[in-house]
Amino acid sequence: MIEINNLTKIYKLSKKQMQEQKTKKNMKKAADHITLTAKPGQIYGLLGPNGAGKTTTLRCVATLLKPTEGDIKVCGFDTVKQGEKVRDNIAFLTNEIKLDPHFSPKYMFHFFGHLHGMSDSQINQRREKLFTYFGINDFQDKKIEELSTGMKQKAAIAVSLVHDPKVVIFDEPTNGLDIVTARSVTDYLKVLRDEGKLVIISTHILSDAEKLCDNIGIIIKGKKVVEGTLQEILTKTNTKDLEDAFFELYKEYNMEED
Amino acid sequence: MRGAKEIIKKELNRVFGDKKLIFSLFILPVALMVGMCFLMGNLMENMEDDVDAHIPTVYIQNAPEELNDAITAAGFQANITNLAKEDSLDSIKDDIINGEKDLLVTFDDGFMEKIQNYTDGAEIPEVRTYYNPSEEYSSTARTNFVTMVLEPMKQSLLAARIGNLDNITIFNIDLDLGASQIMDDQKASGKALGMMLPYFITMLLFAGVMSIAVDAITGEKERGTLASMLVSPVRRVEIVTGKLVSIAILSSISAIIYAISMVFALPKMMGGLSGEINISLSPLQIVQLIVIMLSLVFLYVSLVSIVSVFAKTMKEANTYVTPMYILVIVAGMITMFSGNTTPDTAMFAIPVYGNALCIQNIMEGDLLMSQFLAAVGGTVLLGVIVTAGIVKAFNSEKVMFNA
Repeated sequence: MIEINNLTKIYKLSKKQMQEQKTKKNMKKAADHITLTAKPGQIYGLLGPNGAGKTTTLRCVATLLKPTEGDIKVCGFDTVKQGEKVRDNIAFLTNEIKLDPHFSPKYMFHFFGHLHGMSDSQINQRREKLFTYFGINDFQDKKIEELSTGMKQKAAIAVSLVHDPKVVIFDEPTNGLDIVTARSVTDYLKVLRDEGKLVIISTHILSDAEKLCDNIGIIIKGKKVVEGTLQEILTKTNTKDLEDAFFELYKEYNMEED
Repeated sequence: MRGAKEIIKKELNRVFGDKKLIFSLFILPVALMVGMCFLMGNLMENMEDDVDAHIPTVYIQNAPEELNDAITAAGFQANITNLAKEDSLDSIKDDIINGEKDLLVTFDDGFMEKIQNYTDGAEIPEVRTYYNPSEEYSSTARTNFVTMVLEPMKQSLLAARIGNLDNITIFNIDLDLGASQIMDDQKASGKALGMMLPYFITMLLFAGVMSIAVDAITGEKERGTLASMLVSPVRRVEIVTGKLVSIAILSSISAIIYAISMVFALPKMMGGLSGEINISLSPLQIVQLIVIMLSLVFLYVSLVSIVSVFAKTMKEANTYVTPMYILVIVAGMITMFSGNTTPDTAMFAIPVYGNALCIQNIMEGDLLMSQFLAAVGGTVLLGVIVTAGIVKAFNSEKVMFNA
């Protein structure tokens, strides 16, 4: 269970960042009073354009960032006060977090298993299951730097799931993957959901969200503008598909403050 | 501390599982250094041999007949050209400046007559030598000519005038110089070593830390692999501990390898020094030396690491670490030229400088326990403060994620 309560995250910008973003304000509100709840056994999709605040929200959930205001509870643990407990219950995957390229997938799997306090037999059991599912066995002893992008992504997913976490947080899961690998990743997210895990992903690929997500929250300019199942969102916006619904909302909320 | 242990294991595996890294971290620098020392030693030896083998070109004006006998008797080897009184010397002097000729000697006109007909108050004849001190061949030729030829000739002429030379020798000083020099051989060679060693140890330890720490921290940050550890349930303190301890282990190994190779390579470079180094440390001194070096490694690791944590790229980290390296070299050099005055105990508490002083005093055999404790205390205290800063930085989202 993830409970985000009134999350606000404000970044202080350096002079260089202000120049890059062509703004005179030295503060950037990346998340603006976001409140949402995601329950076990569902895939929750955070949808929004680049820079909307999706990654910031997920990083706050993963304890990597501290909320400026509001609080987040993961499996009942507070992300600020009980960070280690939270991290023990989650898997967090993004393109920016990578496995050490000098080691093999097998070595990294055992390394992170040990960091989670697992025994070797537990780790071997999990490895058997995950490496077989993702087809990693063939290259499990190769150095990660020698692997293709798809292989690396599969290895990273398997390693992040070593401790069988209750909550899986995935920032842009199919970004940069070919359609075959992307499909195997999204398929596995469904497997995780069916096992009763809570999966929360961020994406700007609308078709992914349409097919995959049980619940969708759309974020524009740091604010959650709508939330619900696909059908609920279509009804609220009086549109026929998610793309139309998204642009309706985008037109409405992106104009504000400009 | 389970997490710290796992991280240490991984970091060591990372280095020792990679032949290229072992080579570049431990073997290449040592091979380069030993090679350099041998090359320098050989070049210096060759230069000396070459100077010894060189037969100088010498021009002598107004040479008295007695000189030829003296040259033959001394076995002075040279291509000698005799000049007459009226010959011009300018072109020869120019050639000496250019290094083409080695030595010009002029005797006063009527040199021997002046000596033989000498009466009280008469003019004393002079021999002038013209040579180029910046040319090895020329200055060696001059020294040899004066000591081998002119001095014995002077003595024999003096004997001819006075009769028994003992009449003008009032007393001798140190006929047997070796017996006069009474010193503690160990302390003397300790002094030579004590001058070099602090400088090399402080410098080499830092060089080892530098190459390893920047990659282990900034490198991992840049590659995005540090973040994968930050989302694991391991406490940040453990990650920092794991990182620092593994860097310290690796740099200590690299420093030890360096030190051993230096012991073999230095004597070669310094020529005859090898015979003189004769030092044995007591168990207490060995323990002191090890503690001093370990505290220094800890400080260096923490200093380079804090820079590496704040740097966004490896390039940036290296830019900041280089000035620190220069400071360390300077601190080592100050002890090299500090002379005989022993600084106050308080000065020993200055990190790096105090450690270098300690190493120097251990080598010379007179390190006080208070000085030792001050040095270790000062170094460890700074190291702990810096490490606390690193832990704080690891908890900062601004530093770790540029947020």
